[in-house]
This record gives sequence, structure tokens and C-alpha cells, in this order.
Amino acid sequence: MEMSLFLVQLLNGIQYGLLLFLVASGLTLVFGVMGILNLAHGSMYMIGAYLVYYFAAMTDSFWLAVVIACSIAMVIGVIIERFLIVHLYKRDHLDQVLLTVGLIFIFNAAQSFIWGNDPLGVDVPELLSSSIQITDIVEYPVYRLFLSVLCVGIAIGMYYVINNTKLGMMIRAGESNREMVENLGVNIGTLFTVVFAVGVTLSALAGIVSAPVVSLVPGMGERVLISCFVVVVIGGMGSIKGAFVAALLVGIVDTFASVLLPGMSSMTIYLLMALILIFKPQGLFKS
Amino acid sequence: MTDNILEVKGIHTLYGESHILHGVSFAIKKGQTVSIMGRNGMGKSTTLKSILGIVKPRSGAVLYKGKEIDALPTWKRMRNDIAYVPEGRGMFHNLTVKEHLQMAARKNSRGEAHWTYAKVLEVFPRLKERLTNKGTQLSGGEQQMLAIGRALLTNPDLLILDEATEGLAPLIRKEIWDVIRKIKETGVSTIIVDKNIKVLQTLCDQHILIVKGKVQFNGDSQALEENRAFIETSLAV
Repeated sequence: MEMSLFLVQLLNGIQYGLLLFLVASGLTLVFGVMGILNLAHGSMYMIGAYLVYYFAAMTDSFWLAVVIACSIAMVIGVIIERFLIVHLYKRDHLDQVLLTVGLIFIFNAAQSFIWGNDPLGVDVPELLSSSIQITDIVEYPVYRLFLSVLCVGIAIGMYYVINNTKLGMMIRAGESNREMVENLGVNIGTLFTVVFAVGVTLSALAGIVSAPVVSLVPGMGERVLISCFVVVVIGGMGSIKGAFVAALLVGIVDTFASVLLPGMSSMTIYLLMALILIFKPQGLFKS
Repeated sequence: MTDNILEVKGIHTLYGESHILHGVSFAIKKGQTVSIMGRNGMGKSTTLKSILGIVKPRSGAVLYKGKEIDALPTWKRMRNDIAYVPEGRGMFHNLTVKEHLQMAARKNSRGEAHWTYAKVLEVFPRLKERLTNKGTQLSGGEQQMLAIGRALLTNPDLLILDEATEGLAPLIRKEIWDVIRKIKETGVSTIIVDKNIKVLQTLCDQHILIVKGKVQFNGDSQALEENRAFIETSLAV
């Protein structure tokens, strides 16, 4: 492979991996802290993308649409946790799966009802619509670089909040011993609502910011959900650090596989997962 | 205004079908240090958990500072300046010693902070050497010190210690008892569940003996001495 092509694919792989991290971090956070397996997590990715499409058209501003879509996603997160998930903390994962699969159907039906089934697209915001020259012959879109920088920024922000703030300590403590957190006077119900809403908003944000570089189609949420599960399993259930490393790994492997092994590309990430689980059955970073 | 910080009125608590507490009643005055004694499985921990709302009594009432708190969830009771050191100590495996203390630290509901991070480390110098260790990497004694330190940092008016010194080496026990004495001097009301009748007798102002979910004795150290034979029989395995 030519060097310039390699570089472009590497950047693409990293960018895809970082977006996967954005989705997977929410999934693993909610699972690690609250013990909730949210299969509708991918649906929030889809909803984010369609919301930004809708509001960008309505307001004529991509950035305003991002803010509105994120706010709506957060409200949806709060509603789902307060009215549905709250009943599942003491139940097993099967009940959680049943409920959240039901939510997938509801979100898909809503998407189909509101926006139809034809593929839709969102324009890249003008501010970032240019490309930069990487080598003499290769250009790379600024928007994709922006995506990577944004995701890295969010990853650093999450790392900081979780490791250095009182809220982060409470979240980690909740992961370790929920009852004791409550015994220290923390309203664990509110803490869980916040974690869940932030978790689904991260997923929606990934859908929102990737809307200009993907096509909006029915089922886009499920596809990302499955990749995310691969990331979370490779990284170690509940580990944010693991999700970060695994997402980059999956992003890069998947991108290169589709160039180098086009016939086999759809299975490479599962082979990667199987290989890692043979040596690290708990994932790379056990939570 | 009552001068009782806590009143437990005829609580009946059940775990499923098994009836654990059969109408437990007692009152604790402000600033007093109170022991709850009894053999294992007699309902001491259940009494504490009923006070804290961790388990819900089927009937009876718990009054804290003169107000019924039965409708409040556990975390709200704690926010009213109650602190709890549970049996097993409630360590977080993924938080360092420093973080255990930082996450718990807060002013009490009147905005006062008698206990600070620095003060807790002064009282428990051992913890100072282990600040970067994870909670579960500590020895049992150190864990208990951390659990007490963490509870103190919430600046409570009522401190509840379940199995204060169980399973600890004699030297560590002594350290814990010394700290509880210091806490007592600051005027915090304290409930201690333990089996060490000798220490409890000199340390506590009031003693409660629970046998099969009923209060069988409730009196001061003088009364304890007078009923010593009966109490020791009730505690013997």
C-alpha cells in the first residue's frame, strides 16, 4: 500500500474508532455503574443523526441543530431512566434486554414514521467544509479531523471528570458499592439518572456529528450497536479506558480490512474479538 | 424540643417471612454514646438498618431530633447528619483512600465542618501513609479507620458503628476505641454495636441489650454492673 493511502486509511480508522468510542463509552458507563444493559443505545445514535438532520433543515444552522438535538437526546434519556429503567435495577439482564429491545422497535417505528425510509444526508457545515493537503496528491477533509479532535476532547473531559471530580468519585463508588454510596447521603436515584442521560447523549452526539459523513438510513443504530458491543467486550465490560483502546483497535482494523480484505471485512472485527477473548477472557481492561 | 436525638418506638421488622424485631423501643439523648449488645442474629444490625431506612420496619416509628423519619429514603436521613459505618466497612475497590475521604466530605446541614480532611488524617495517622492505596488493599484495621474517617467527614450529629472492632487485632482495637473516645468528646451522639462489654462499660453512657429481637436491658453503666451476670449470660455463645 502506498504511504499516502495508508495515512488516509489510518486517519479514517482512527476517526471511526473515536466515534465508536463516543457511543461505546456511554454504553459501558451505564453498564459499569448501573448494571443496565441498554440495547437501545444504538437507537440514540440514530435518533441523534435524524434530529440534527431535521433541525439543521429547520434552523439552517448545523451548530444550532447540534445543540437542540443534544438537548432533546438528554431529555429522552432522563424520561427513559425515570419511567422505565428505574423499574429494572433489581431485575436481571434478560428483563433489561426485553425492555430495551422494545425501545429499539419504538425508535425505529418513530424514525420511519417521521422521516421515511429513504436515505437522507446532512451537509457538512460550511466552516469545516474544506480539505487540507496531507501529501502532494492526498487531501483530507477538515470535518473528519474535527470529528477526531472533538472525540479526543470528550474522552479527555470524561477522563478528567471520572478521575478528578467528586461526581466522578461518586460514579466510581456507585460501580463498586451502590448501597454504601447511598449510606453516605448521596441520592443514588439522581446520580443514576444523570449517568444514564449522559450515556445516551454521548451516543446521540456520535450520531449527530457523524451525520454529515454517513447516510441516514433505517437500521443505522443497530449496526453501530453491534460494533459497540464488540468494542465493549474487547475493552472489558464497564471499563472506559478499555473502550477507548478497543474502539481505536476496532476502528483501525475494520477500516484496513475493508481496503485490504474486501471480501472478509465484515468478519474481521469478530475475529479480532475472538482472538482477544482467547487470551484475555475478561477483555483488555477488566473493570 | 426534645433532648432525645433518637427515639425508636416499637418497631417490628421482617425479612420476608422471618420476624426479626419484635417491637424494639429505646431513646438516646443528645451527645450520648450508646452501646447495643447481643449475640449474633439477635437483631442488632437489623435495628440499625431500620433506623437508617435500609430495611423498612413493618410497624412502629423512628424519631430523629423529634421528627418522624420513616418516610425518608436512606440518603435523606444521612443528609440530616447521620453517618453509618456498616459491618463489612463498605469499602470501594476502585477508589483510593484519599478519594474515599474526598467523596464523602461535606458540611453538615447547619453548614458546619468540625471534621476536615486534615483532621481525620491527624486522628488516623496510619491512613496518611496509605493515601494512594485502594480501599480494599488496606488491612481490616485500616479499613475500619477509613470507614470511620469517611463517616466523620460528613460531619454527623449521630454516628452509627456496626461491629466497631470485630475481627481486629487487639492493638488496632485499642486505637479504634481511643478514636471513639475522641469522637465522644466532640459531642457527637454515637451508637456502637460491639461485643466487648468491658470497654463498652467504661466508654458508653447507656447500654441496650437485644435478645431475639426484643430489648432485654436498657440502662446506664451502673445498671449494667448490677445486671452484669444476666447480660454476660445473654452474650455468651
